Order: sequence, then C-alpha cells, then structure tokens
Amino acid sequence: MNNLQSIQYFLPELLIVQLALSIIILDLLSLKRWVNICVYIGLGCSALLLCQLSSPIDGFHIFNGMLINDSFSYYFKWIILISTASIIVISNYSKELDREYSVEFNAMILFVLLGMFLMTNSIDLLMIYLSIELVSIPSYVLAGILKNDKKSNEASLKYVIFGSFASGLMLFGLSWLYGISGSTNIYDIYNSLALVESPYMIYISLMLILVGFGYKISMAPLHYWTPDVYEGSPTVVTAFFSVAPKAAGFAILIRTFSILFTDANSLSVNTFPIHNVNWSLVVAVLSAITMSIGNLLALKQDNVKRMLAYSTISHVGFMLMAFSTTSVEGNIGIMFYLAMYMFMNLSAFFMVIHVENNFNVKNIEDWSGIGYKSPVLSIFMVLSLVSLAGLPPTSGFVGKVYLFRTLFATEQFYWLGIVAILNSVISLYYYFKIVKSMYFSEKVIEEKENIQAPVYTLIVLFSAQNILFYMYWSDLYNYIKGLF
Amino acid sequence: MPIPDLGILLFLGLCGLIVGSAFMVVTSPNLVHSAVSLLFTFFGIAAIYIYLYADFIAATQVVVYVGGILVLIIFGVMLTNKIENATITSKTHNQIPGALFSGILLLLQFYAIFNTKWLVNDNPEKSSTVMDIGELLLGKYLLPFEVVSILLLSALIGAAMLSRKKVD
Repeated sequence: MNNLQSIQYFLPELLIVQLALSIIILDLLSLKRWVNICVYIGLGCSALLLCQLSSPIDGFHIFNGMLINDSFSYYFKWIILISTASIIVISNYSKELDREYSVEFNAMILFVLLGMFLMTNSIDLLMIYLSIELVSIPSYVLAGILKNDKKSNEASLKYVIFGSFASGLMLFGLSWLYGISGSTNIYDIYNSLALVESPYMIYISLMLILVGFGYKISMAPLHYWTPDVYEGSPTVVTAFFSVAPKAAGFAILIRTFSILFTDANSLSVNTFPIHNVNWSLVVAVLSAITMSIGNLLALKQDNVKRMLAYSTISHVGFMLMAFSTTSVEGNIGIMFYLAMYMFMNLSAFFMVIHVENNFNVKNIEDWSGIGYKSPVLSIFMVLSLVSLAGLPPTSGFVGKVYLFRTLFATEQFYWLGIVAILNSVISLYYYFKIVKSMYFSEKVIEEKENIQAPVYTLIVLFSAQNILFYMYWSDLYNYIKGLF
Repeated sequence: MPIPDLGILLFLGLCGLIVGSAFMVVTSPNLVHSAVSLLFTFFGIAAIYIYLYADFIAATQVVVYVGGILVLIIFGVMLTNKIENATITSKTHNQIPGALFSGILLLLQFYAIFNTKWLVNDNPEKSSTVMDIGELLLGKYLLPFEVVSILLLSALIGAAMLSRKKVD
C-alpha cells in the first residue's frame, strides 16, 4: 500500500506526533495550563482512533512495506497506551518531578509512545532500528530529568552508554541480514535466509540482534543497566520504563524472531527454528539466567525501587521461558501475562509514588507502619505484591500458570520449568519483606497522609484488576486466542 | 608473481588506516590525540564509501562527521578546563578474559564471513546516486525519513531541556 493510502491506518500515531508538537507550542505561547487538558483529550482521541481501526488477523503491509497492520500489534498498542496514559496522569501528582519541565516531560513520554507504537508493527530493518532508537533516546532524557540529582545524572549516563553499545551491536547484526539478502524487508530476508547453506551466519546475526532486543527488555546478561537506571530515575519514570517499553520489546522480539528465524515465516503457526539453528535453547538458557539473577539479587535489596527493578528482570525471565517454546501458545501466554503484569506492576509502583509523596521514604524498612497509616491503599498494595509473587487468588497466578503450561505442553526444557518453580518460591520472600515491614514493624510515622484522588483511584483501579482477572481471565485469554 | 591490482592495494591501505587510527582513538591517553586520530578514521570510512560507488554518502560523511562532529569534539576538548591532567579513576579489569573472549568472537566471525554466500552485485551502476536517494526518500522510504526527523527533534528538545538553566 502506498504512502497516501496508508495514512488512514496510521491516525493514532499521527495524532500522538501532533500532540507532542502542539504542547511544545502551547508552552512557548505561555499557555501551560492548557497542556494537561490537551494531552488528556489527545490520548483519549488516539484511543478512540485505535478502537475504530479494523485489524485483520493476517495483516497487510502499509507504507510500502515499512509497517504491518495486524491484530497482534493492536493488542500491544493497547497495553502500551493504557500504561503510558496512566503514567502521564500520575506524573502530575509526583512531588519528585520539577513542574518547570512538565511540558518537556510530557513531550518526551509522547515521543517514546510513538516509538513503542512503531516497534509493535515494524517489519523493515530500517524501521526496527529507528523505532528502537525513538524509544531509547527520549528515555535517556527521561532518566536524567532530575537535573540536580547526582543519581539521576548517573542513571542517564549509564543508560546512554549501555544503550548505544547495544544498539551498535544490533545494527551490526542487521547489516549481516542485509548483506545476505540485499533487502531490508524481513519477509524478503526470510526468503534469502531459507537458501543459506551454512548456519554460522544465522547464528551470529541472530545473537547480535538478540543483544539489541534483549537490552530493551533487560534480559540477562544485558540487564546491568536496569537496577541503576531504575533507582536513579524519578519513580514515575521508573514505573514507565518497567512496563510499556518491555511490552514493546516483547512485541518486536516475537515478531522479528518468528518471521525471520523460524521455518514458518509467520506468527500464527507452531514452528521450529530455521535450519536447525537451535536458538530456542539459547533463549531457554538465557531465560533461566535472567529469572535467577533477578530473583537472587532482589533478595539483598533495601531500596524499594531497586528491588522492583530486579523483580522486573525476573518477570522478563518468566516471559522469555514461554518465548523459548517458539509456539503460538507461548506467544499468547506472553501477551496474556503482559496484561496482568501491567496492572500489578503499575499499581505497586503507584503505591511507591504515593508513599514517597507522603512519607518521603526510600528503603524497605522505612515502610514500617504504613499498613496502619494508610490502611485501604495498603491492602491493595498487598494484593499487587501477592499477584507479583504469583499466588492465588490473583491474576499473577493465572498468568504464571499459562506460562508454565506452554512450557510443559511443548515437552521440551523440563529443567527450565524446575528452575522457574524454584524461582517463584524465592520471589515470595522479597515481596513479603515489604508486607512484613508494612504491618509487623513498630515504628510510628509522624507525617499525616495526604490523599490525592487521582493517585488513589488509579492504585485501587489497577490493583482491583488482579482480582478481576483472576475471575474473568478466560475472556481475555479467548480474546487473545482470537487474534491469531 | 602477478602484480596486485592497485585498487586492492589502496583498499588494504585504507583498511589499515581506519583500524589503526581507531585503535589510537581508544588507547591514546591524551584526549587531543584521540580526537585527531578520529579524523583519519572518518576520512577512511568516506573513502570506503567511494569504493562502494556511494558518492553522496561519502560527501555527507566528510561534511557531517569530519566537518561538523569532529570539529565540535575538538572544540569541546579544548574548551574543557584542566582536561590535560584529568585522571581516569576507573581501572581496567579482566583484560585477559576480555581479550580471549573478543578474540574468539573475532575468529567465529571470520569463519562465518568466509563460509557465507553473500549477495554480490556483479554489475554496479557507476552513475551518481543523488537522484535515486532523493526519489527513495520521498517515495518508498518516506516513513523512515519522517521518523528520523521526529527522532532528531526529540533529541534536540531533550538536549535543550537538560542544558537549560532554570529561569526564575
């Protein structure tokens, strides 16, 4: 489809660009108080546009084969849009952020949002690279947005160095694919790859590309930036980094690998790695390392944000476990889990923001007595933590059951299942460290709690999904199944 | 013994220049030396583009990297106070395992490169590429072209925000 015809399928993205540009102009015209309303209305309209777009299951190429328009990408776009919109709402109530830069903050988030949308449906090497950069570069700025805070500066610098290194390696891997096929479209490249005689070339380009994608989803051994960046960035930004870019990273990982490096050249067929290049074993090993590192290092953390950073790494490990099966069920499991993960992780982070706003605490032991100080929200926080740990009766349990089910159904990597079960047990300890601190410690907090209605509502709303999806998970699961 | 093709000799010389000066960039303790070595790397890359019949890219490489970015780097080095006696506090660790690992990676890549049937264009067109680039940028690659402009804009806004002083 040519450029002009494609625009009708690109309206949500166009609106986001418009929004980012117009709020900057509003700021220049000293109309700052309109910015928030403008952003809310814009994102609402973008969601409406996303609703009315029809998305066929097989998908069709738009913009001369740069992007694909299919239902797989729409599902990820919804996850990304919901989490980003909630972050924009919460950011208005964070005491950490400087009001002076609120417009730039919103503009950066919107640019990242555009990049993540493009990540979900890029099918051209050029667009894959550009969309990842469009997510990364504003993220570096967001990590360092507290200009006078040493930790924030450090976080930003570390993010830049790690990020440019990883994207350099990925670019090198992509250049191998171009060298073999002379094309940047991944469907064309697949046709050339199918004719390749030696698998070595596929191994090397695959590993290099995995570095680039793995860095975005903080897969071990590329997770080193995660704890430092999460700790140093403002908590709102950390909450943002921990969900939406991960979802986009998984979208691009699943799409690129399923199309390029499998026998089927398609998302919707159970398949095997191309030319017996056993990359699913590589992913399985990396998944075991990722979840173990995330969990074991989370045990020792005192800082809540740092602990949640490691917990994010371990959740990524669990999702990679389903990815290593290279089956449709595995992809459905990841998409299902990402929806659950968004709600539980964001509600936990919003509670951290609420506690930081009110009681100015950073470490787990300082959370003591919060269970009595803000009783309602604490109950919801416990619910989110239980869900993160993957215990019934919460959605985290259902999500994890599906991840395990896909692994055992494909009858490979039983050892990975055992590692994952052990890891689930370990994770109970550090999530309940917060619960213990909240309810069973003596310390009395003097400060009075000041409840901000939107923050309160969002915590309750997102946390309640943990119960709701425990009861009505089958609807979501069948919906996702219908997308393939 | 046949005399090797002059073009190939020149190419090998260029490769030596690029790799050698890139090595200087990372190993030289003096920042000014590093910056000047970078000049030769950038020029060498521009020459490689000419070998690939990519005349426009070669010119852009010279204008943007040599003319723009490198001059900026050298200005930055010169305008920074006390850069001469700045001590680098972090030490280099694990040199031997690192060298071994990267050596193995290099060998693996050599093996893969020589065992792959690359797509070779036997009859490259030896005319100017500017017109094709223009047509592709506004035709097939219009979307990436626009996305790049958004990316640069976001980088610009971010840089301006981070470097701006607070107005009272």
